This record gives sequence, structure tokens and C-alpha cells, in this order.
Amino acid sequence: MVEFLVHVAIMACLYGLLSLSLNLQVGFAGLVNFGQVILFGCGTYGAAIAFSHQLGPVAGIALGIVFAVIVAAAFARLGRNLGADYWGIATLAVAEVLRILANNEAWLAGGAQGVGGIPLLFGDMPRPMGPLMTLGLCVALLLAAWWLCQRLTTSRYGLALKLMREEPQLAASLGYDLAALKTQTLMVAAVLAAASGFVFAHYITFVGPDQLVSSETFLIWAMVIIGGSGNHLGAIVGAILMQFLFAFVPFVKDALGLPSEHVAAMRLTLVGGGLLAFLIWRTQGLIPEHVGGKQNG
Amino acid sequence: MISVNNVRAGYGDGPDILQGINLNAAGGEIVTILGPNGCGKSTLLKCIAGFVRPRGGAVEMEGCDVSAVPVHDKIRHHLMGFVPQTDNVFSTLSVADNIMLGARYMPAAERNARYAELMAQYPSLASKQERKASALSGGERQILSLARALISKPRVLLLDEPSAGLSPMMMHEVFAAIAEIRDRTGMCIVTVEQNAFEALGVADRAYVLSLGKVAIEGRAADLLADPAMRHLYLGGKPPVVESRPPFAAVN
Ligand SMILES: Nc1ncnc2c1ncn2[C@@H]1O[C@H](COP(=O)(O)OP(=O)(O)O)[C@@H](O)[C@H]1O
Ligand SMILES: [Mg+2]
Repeated sequence: MVEFLVHVAIMACLYGLLSLSLNLQVGFAGLVNFGQVILFGCGTYGAAIAFSHQLGPVAGIALGIVFAVIVAAAFARLGRNLGADYWGIATLAVAEVLRILANNEAWLAGGAQGVGGIPLLFGDMPRPMGPLMTLGLCVALLLAAWWLCQRLTTSRYGLALKLMREEPQLAASLGYDLAALKTQTLMVAAVLAAASGFVFAHYITFVGPDQLVSSETFLIWAMVIIGGSGNHLGAIVGAILMQFLFAFVPFVKDALGLPSEHVAAMRLTLVGGGLLAFLIWRTQGLIPEHVGGKQNG
Repeated sequence: MISVNNVRAGYGDGPDILQGINLNAAGGEIVTILGPNGCGKSTLLKCIAGFVRPRGGAVEMEGCDVSAVPVHDKIRHHLMGFVPQTDNVFSTLSVADNIMLGARYMPAAERNARYAELMAQYPSLASKQERKASALSGGERQILSLARALISKPRVLLLDEPSAGLSPMMMHEVFAAIAEIRDRTGMCIVTVEQNAFEALGVADRAYVLSLGKVAIEGRAADLLADPAMRHLYLGGKPPVVESRPPFAAVN
């Protein structure tokens, strides 16, 4: 049971990173990214490609960050010519194209088969210690990311993002470089997501294109919306809550005596139902955005 | 100071909204751009500022072609201040924070000195420094957006309909403030206006746009007396002199 809880906690932290990353884009920069999962994929594939070329995990994370920055730059480039709604669809399309590419190019990282046997980060430690160390790493990463996001969004940079979201035209007329602001936000968010993907790859020990289906993106969206977009703590709470609810679906299934194939459906219902409920009754999420407050030019 | 040479511009793949515009504005004068709704006044101002890239022709400031210079560069170097037509204050920020946004590229000491000067100049803002901009009246917002553009002492000031939606009294106050800026600073000021006759009262020269071209241009005093202007702007009333068709007064 403890091991199971540790597992759920690790997954909650990794999703927390993804949710923080998406929230930075959606809640602060107004970037409606529907391709979030591919930024996570940059991290998993960085780990997988480094591993399959006998390079160490340092090369893996470096590769993951490079991929993430490239994809973020591509997303930002798309944004120059497209309105926010079309941009969202374009990110979804890019993510799908890259997933299909990963699925079909066997030379890249095993194609549809993926890459297995990626070493655990703390594999040489005895059984209960390894996962606990991984959990420690995940918690540290999540806290570091939270701190970073908090620092960013309460600084002058955060004010610039807020102004850009509130009145883009006016912000531009005051000399804010909107394209640069969006690109920078995307880059930071992409690196956070890639870090999550990298740790995930070394925890699950397997990387494949099926981990990059767009329903993952929408799961992260649900976490952000339920937690409260525009609030870092909200994004983390949303992720943790969803992960723990998910974890207990099988127990509920057993209690109700339902067959196992209902688990996935119940989870999906939880995501969809939860999302709808929040969109209808509590659009600000569990922890609403902090409005106003002290701002300095 | 500003020279617009044969500029053509439009949005996306759309048609040319501006079809070969020529305009000049010197330091120490107010030039106002007039014309019916949707004729491209704002587009012209955005083109001068750099939000809209000209498809042809060039925009020059201080003798340099700035058609391809990004807006933020002109702001950073205090070349230009721009106030858009609507939503020209950040309503969730205080009056003071709004003004300080215009001073981001100034040394702190200079910024604070300028701020104090502006507060002395605009007492209506001084008494509301800590209020949220959303709590201001329409006229106070216009003054606020002016103050924000002025704090960095730009050489060129571009204002899109500073009198829009104001009562006649407030409009008078805003125009007076603009004229005072010209007289005191010798800035080059270009405004877009719908209220033609009121605007001509303070402007030095004006350009009237129609169908993407300059239909009438001249000194404000002359335009005020121009029957073609009366015809254009006092829609209901018959023109004073019927013999002259509208738009015939270019040069
Ligand atoms: N961002 C835009 N995208 C596409 N068309 C625009 C845009 N802004 C203005 N237009 C069009 O350009 C024309 C001129 O608009 P504008 O310059 O705002 O007129 P004015 O300020 O004189 O009322 C209008 O037909 C308007 O519909
Ligand atoms: Mg306009």
C-alpha cells in the first residue's frame, strides 16, 4: 500500500509539473496550448534517445531540453501569423504530427514499439529506497518549478504578461514586445514539461508514442481548470487531486463490483464530468486567480 | 518630423485600406486626421506607429525610414508615444502604476521627477493617484493615457481619437491639454478625430481621408471655412456653396 501511495505521489508530482507549465502558458500568457503533451514528449524522447545511444541521463535531460526549446520556438513562430484560437488548433496539429512521426520512424526511438529498459534513476538502491528517492526528486522538482513560476509571475516580467493578457494592443503600444514575451513563456513552460517527461521516462522505464496521445493534453487542461487557472498552487492542487482520485477509481470499481474494463471509462467520466462541473459552477477553479495586488511598473 | 510617402497598407490578405497616402507633420504642430468612420484613420496612425507594415511607400521619422522599425524600439528610444483609440488604460492598475508604465526605460531618478511634474500639471490625476484606473471618468482616462505617453518626453505623439465619447466640456479640456503640450514642448503631435470642427479648433493642419486617399488637406483655419468640409461633416445640412463638389479640394 505504501509503495502504491508513493507511486501515486510521484505521478501527481510529474503531472503537477505539467500542470504548472500549462498554467504558465494559459493562465498567465493567454497561450491556449493544445499540444502540451508534446513538450512532455520532448523530455521522454530525450531520455529514450540518449539511452538507446548509450549516453547517460545527463545527455538525456540536455537532449530533452533542446527538443523542448525547438518545439517551443516552432509553436511561437506559428503564433506570429495566427490568432489565439487558430494557434491552439495548430499546436494540437503539430503535437499529433510529431506523435505520428515518433510512431512511424523506427530509427528514431523504436517507432511504435518504443524504447524499453531505460534505467531507473535510483535503480541501484534497495527496493523501498529507490522509489522514495524518486519521490524526493519529484517533490524537489515540483517545488523548484513552483518557486520559479512564482518568481517569474510576481516580477516585472509577470506584470508584462498580465498587461499583455489584459490589453494586448495597449501593451504593445507601450513598447512591450508581445512576440518575445510569448516565446520566452513558451520556452520556460517547455523546459518544465520536458523535465517532467525525462523523470517519467526514467521512472516508468519505457518510452513510446502512445504516451503522447492528445487526451493527455486534455487531462492536463482539466487539472489546470479544476485547480484554478492563473494560480500556481491551483495548478498543483488540481494535478494532485486528479491523480489521487484516479488512483482510487479501481477501489471504487471493486466496491461496486464492476468489471475491470470500466476503470478507464470511469476515469474518463471523472475528467469530463469534473471539467464540465467546474466550467459550469466554478469557472475560477478551486483556488481562484489572485486578482489585483501590489504591482510595480 | 514625420513624413508619410505614398503609403499603401491593409490587413492580412485584405484590400488596400490606405491607397497611397502622403502626410507631413513637423515639430511644434498638431496635425489631425479626419474622415468618416471606417475610412482608415486609425490604420494610418497605426501605420505611422509601426503596428501595420506599409505594403508600399515609406514612413519616415526625423528623416529616417522607420517603416520596418518595430514599435517597441521606437518606444524604448523615446522617439514616439502612442495612445490607441479604445481601452487605453489598464483598468486593474492604479493611476500611478499606469503612468509609470510609460517610464520603464528611464532612470529611476528622472522617472520620479517627471512623475512629480506631471502630477503638478494634471491636478485631476494627482488627487486620484492610488485609485484604480477603472474608477476614472472618460475624460480622466484620456488625460491619464496622455500623461502616460508624455512621461518619457517622446518627440512624436500619436493620439487616436482622444476626444471619443467625451462630453463637450471634457472634450474641450482634453483639446486644451493637447494644445498646451504642443506649446510647451514643441512636440510633433498627430491626432485622429471624429469631431472635425472641434478638432480643427486646436489643430494646425488637417488631412481628411476618404476611400483610402487624402481627399482634402490644408491649414485648419482654411478647412474650417471650406464649404466642402461643411458638406462632408454637417451631413444633414446642405452645403453653403453648392457649386463645389465634395472631395475636390485636394491641394
Ligand atoms: N485589425 C484589422 N483587421 C482587418 N481589418 C481591419 C482591422 N482594423 C480595421 N480594419 C478595417 O479597416 C478599415 C479602416 O478601419 P480604421 O482604420 O479603424 O477606420 P477609422 O479609424 O477611420 O474608423 C475598416 O474597414 C475596418 O473594418
Ligand atoms: Mg479609428
